[in-house]
Amino acid sequence: MRRFLTVLSVLLGVFASTRATAQEIQLTGPLAGAPAVRQLRLQRQGRVEIAPTVSFTLLDEYQRTILPGGRLTYNLADWLAIGVWGAFGAVKLPTGLTDHIQEVTQIRRSGRPEDGGLPGGEANDYPGDISINNLRTRASIGPQFKDQLGRIDFIVSPQVTLIPFRGKLAIFQKIFVDTDAYVFGGPAIIGLSERKSCEANCGEPDAYGRASRVAVAPSFGLGFNFYLAKFMALGLEWRGIPFAWNTGGFDTRGANPDGRFPDNKVNDDDREFKFNQVLSVNLGFYLPTKPKSSD
Amino acid sequence: MNQARIGLLVMAALIAAPSFAHAQKKKKPAAKPAVTAPAVPPSAPPVDAAAAGVAPLPPAQGPTEIDADAPAGATPGEPAAPEGPTPEPGDLGEICKIDPAACPTMNLAEEAKKDLKEQMYAVQQIYALRYHRFEIQPAWNAITMNDQFVSHPGPVAALNFYVTNVLAVGVSGGYYFNNDSKFNFQTRRAARVAVPLTEYQWQAALNFTYVPIYGKFAGFSDFIFHYDAYLVGGVGAISTRPIAVVDPDNRSFNWDKPKIDFNVGIGLRIFFNRWFAGVLEVRDYIFLDKLENTTVFTGQDALNTSNWYGEQKLTNNVQAQLGVSIFLPFAWEYRLAK
Repeated sequence: MRRFLTVLSVLLGVFASTRATAQEIQLTGPLAGAPAVRQLRLQRQGRVEIAPTVSFTLLDEYQRTILPGGRLTYNLADWLAIGVWGAFGAVKLPTGLTDHIQEVTQIRRSGRPEDGGLPGGEANDYPGDISINNLRTRASIGPQFKDQLGRIDFIVSPQVTLIPFRGKLAIFQKIFVDTDAYVFGGPAIIGLSERKSCEANCGEPDAYGRASRVAVAPSFGLGFNFYLAKFMALGLEWRGIPFAWNTGGFDTRGANPDGRFPDNKVNDDDREFKFNQVLSVNLGFYLPTKPKSSD
Repeated sequence: MNQARIGLLVMAALIAAPSFAHAQKKKKPAAKPAVTAPAVPPSAPPVDAAAAGVAPLPPAQGPTEIDADAPAGATPGEPAAPEGPTPEPGDLGEICKIDPAACPTMNLAEEAKKDLKEQMYAVQQIYALRYHRFEIQPAWNAITMNDQFVSHPGPVAALNFYVTNVLAVGVSGGYYFNNDSKFNFQTRRAARVAVPLTEYQWQAALNFTYVPIYGKFAGFSDFIFHYDAYLVGGVGAISTRPIAVVDPDNRSFNWDKPKIDFNVGIGLRIFFNRWFAGVLEVRDYIFLDKLENTTVFTGQDALNTSNWYGEQKLTNNVQAQLGVSIFLPFAWEYRLAK
């Protein structure tokens, strides 16, 4: 009986083993357990990236800003990184609309018919000979329109970067570069200069100065990295930073009905929510200079 | 008792046998059979493995490759040719007896010693071939990238035919909706300055597409998808008209005669399978636009339509489009083996 049980258990073991083997092959195939990519160059894992950047604002109404800056990133893994991006608004370029408003305002204020202005300036009796003869909007346009525009002075954004896609591309079948695509997000601290708050006599020329403030907003976007060498990558990224600010320095809101009319005051009510967009180009340098490879 | 021990030993050996098979390392692929004789003569017509209903031949003794796109009838990994003993050189004599015309004249042993100068391509088989396929590309103008005054979303569609694997000729067209930005009104109210605005109705174009870049991504190191990047350019027509903002009491614009426009763009196409892809494209439509006259006339002059139009201005309408690509036919044949 013992012999029978022993043989039976062994036979069951044999059959059980056979079934398991067949099932494994059927379920997973000959590539069972094989990684999707072998010997993948881990361009990011364990490396620090130092990347000078140049960023350009998009779809600006009155003023474009060019922001040189930099990004410091530590890559915890090939798919996850933490870092900080910072830039300051070094160059401000007025749009054509701003130039036009500036020109028209100057003409209206000049009072010279040869410039297209009315004799003595526009007919109004507001202090400072402001050019707007509308009671509602007299606090909107100052002597120098360009000086009342909202400006981005700096942006600092700590961020988490997720790199889900890693690959390579061929250009003309001649040039091959490793590349990755990533998304990132985090809070952004934005230093702004915008028209200072004013509760009374906001049409006076000295009421058109700017004041600085700091705004906090979400920052998120996506980008591509093209690895030109083992230690260097060219990057292109788009970033959205939505927040409310007064880009034109106008008095647009606050009065009834529903606060949708100018109230001759300049304050928080006049800030418009804007989906600010930034396009950045960067050149990243990686340390250590040689990447590791996966199995 | 001894018999029982022997029996147990035999059974243990039976158990261990399959385990050893598992633990055994995969055999390295043997030298390519092409060294002795090419599998398919260079002059032979290409073999459509998918159309023939068989999976591609696996490399001799190498790991079997699964072709996810093979027809249902084909078993992955199943060799297409019956297994059998490797033909010996002496077997060629049998061929000569049967058909002297087919008798090989070359010395296969000598040929096998020659260096193999196999042409290797950077990408042996591009995942999604475009050659002689149609591409249907419905999309949506999602973002107007350079017009902060009026956005122009709307549907667009393109039909392309790939003359070569990287060059296509096609047509495209689109319809526009127009959203006047809120800040236009605020600027007019605050500064009493009106910016001439334009709205678009439709556009159509003849395009050429060039695909210089392609590659693949590994998503989380787990799945792989392929993509390409292309340049597109063409010439066509666009229908526009001004939005009356300077003198809206007297002016009302009809859709103008279509204007000639040129377009250039770049696109990124991500393949979900061999005939279906997602597309992100940025295209600039360039045309000479007729703007509303910023001068206000009075009396009868205000009603004279010739006074309504002002300067002509070269306009760039840069649109970011999101869409999909559908390639027809769904299947094709590769010229080269994998």
